[in-house]
Amino acid sequence: MVVADTQERDAPPGEIPQVVEHLFRHEWGKMVSRLTSIFGIDRLNLAEDLVQEALARALQTWPYYGVPKNPAAWIMQVSKNLAIDYVRREKVFRDKEAEIISLLEQHNTVSNRSPSFAEEIKDDSLRMMFVCCHPIVPREAQVALALKILCGFSPAEIGKALLASEAAVTKKLTRAKEKIRSAGIPFAVPTGKELSERLAGVLQTLYLLFNEGYKASSGPRLVREELCHEAIRLTSFLAENPVGNCPKVHALLALMLFNAARLPTRIDSNGNILLLKEQDRSRWNRPLISRGMFHFSQSAAGDEISEYHIQAGIAACHCAAPDYDSTDWLNILSLYDGLIEIDDSPVVALNRAVAIANVHGVEAGIEAVAAIPGRAKLDAYYLLYAVLGEFEAQLNHRDAAAGYFRRALELADTRSERQFLAKKLKESQQGEKEKKQKKRRATEAIG
Amino acid sequence: MSIEFTPSEYLLLFRNAGDWHRGLSPQELQEVTDQWMTWYNRLSEQGKVTAGHPLMHEGKIVSGKNGQFVADGPFAESKETIGGYFLLSVESADEAIGIARECPGLAYGMRVEVRPVAAKCALRETAEAELAQSHA
Repeated sequence: MVVADTQERDAPPGEIPQVVEHLFRHEWGKMVSRLTSIFGIDRLNLAEDLVQEALARALQTWPYYGVPKNPAAWIMQVSKNLAIDYVRREKVFRDKEAEIISLLEQHNTVSNRSPSFAEEIKDDSLRMMFVCCHPIVPREAQVALALKILCGFSPAEIGKALLASEAAVTKKLTRAKEKIRSAGIPFAVPTGKELSERLAGVLQTLYLLFNEGYKASSGPRLVREELCHEAIRLTSFLAENPVGNCPKVHALLALMLFNAARLPTRIDSNGNILLLKEQDRSRWNRPLISRGMFHFSQSAAGDEISEYHIQAGIAACHCAAPDYDSTDWLNILSLYDGLIEIDDSPVVALNRAVAIANVHGVEAGIEAVAAIPGRAKLDAYYLLYAVLGEFEAQLNHRDAAAGYFRRALELADTRSERQFLAKKLKESQQGEKEKKQKKRRATEAIG
Repeated sequence: MSIEFTPSEYLLLFRNAGDWHRGLSPQELQEVTDQWMTWYNRLSEQGKVTAGHPLMHEGKIVSGKNGQFVADGPFAESKETIGGYFLLSVESADEAIGIARECPGLAYGMRVEVRPVAAKCALRETAEAELAQSHA
């Protein structure tokens, strides 16, 4: 029988014990990694089942006996006990059984948990991160896999966050796990030359994870913010590790922190998109910005300037400006000039055109849009028309602006984007520029 | 013989314990744990739960005239498995049912069985009293 509890309980009557937010999710990630490290990557599902059962035991017993003093250690202990029971009962590991049990029994008592154990747990999570982001798995499946295994999201929760059906997510996860199993991907952090390549892959996945959450408007807001915070948690974890403590990782982390600081102000209480200039800067999360500035300074250590460095630099300019009008557009434009050399995508060029408009005037912005190489790729991109509409509106070309906003409206696919564009369209049709509440927009027309 | 008011006792049995949490994500498990804990704490502060325990799924079944058979069990269908119980001290059956309705597991398919604890029968008390008198 599993010893469900070895610790004192700490739930004085009259006080509702609170468990740290997302504790189950995060302990899930650690414990699944630990058990996988012991069982082998081909038993990933078993590790998941055992940890799930341990969390179910918490649900079954904590309400009656209270929350243990160290809930994380409790979950770890019960997971291990369940694993030991399983290995003894099912005899699946044959001649390895004794070895596996002795690994599981290591550091088995809560009182003598050593610092080296904490290190092992971290190493296992790091290994798991490299497995989830292995290039053999398609990038989108990597994101789903990281959410499932490292962040403890269920397929339903992943589906909600990534706007996919639960069934599609389950299928994707099963395939990804099958690939990992059949390819015999080692449960290890790569070394030498392979490391920097694989680390770049991990960063791309974390960046994608963050952007899934950051994408302005689609999906339930809370769920999407959680994705951003999970991406930050994993990237912080990477940055704290010797393997990931490098300028590029700090740059990505800084970028995420700067953008996350602005998250709550990007949408108003009715779910409408608020532009940078309309956002209430007093509500930007200062502690996140400070953390961002710290990692931004760490990112300056090497010679390499990655796209994350430049994007973090742009985000830092925005975060540092006390109001929209005092934004350092000159600096932002020069950063975009640098970014476009690394990433010549039309989307970057479109953003650069906005910077140009702010530095050299709206006409220069329009010219810059016209000059985007491969502009045809943006033909179905609603933001192209939203930007052009905004430019024309600033020049008071109401008909042209309305035409662009109408086109953008046709292409936008989420509710808040459409609401936003409908508002813009209405404004351009009515020519309400002089209206009192729009006085902030008038100042920006100075360009 | 005094006619004292004794609050009724009810047993809440939580069934479908084997399965209901299987499909829950870690986050949901944590949320339900929190809800359940809050619920239980409130009821015990109010003195409405006088006892309550979770039950392990596997146990033994003892049978035979002399109790000679001891088998593993019960192997009830997971729908029937009892995962825990509350002993309630409440005013009425309605109140017990009202409490059962608050069970956070219901939303996930758990079922709550409400069973009144049989009170001592009044006839028996009268009989005992008469017996005591006749002996006096």
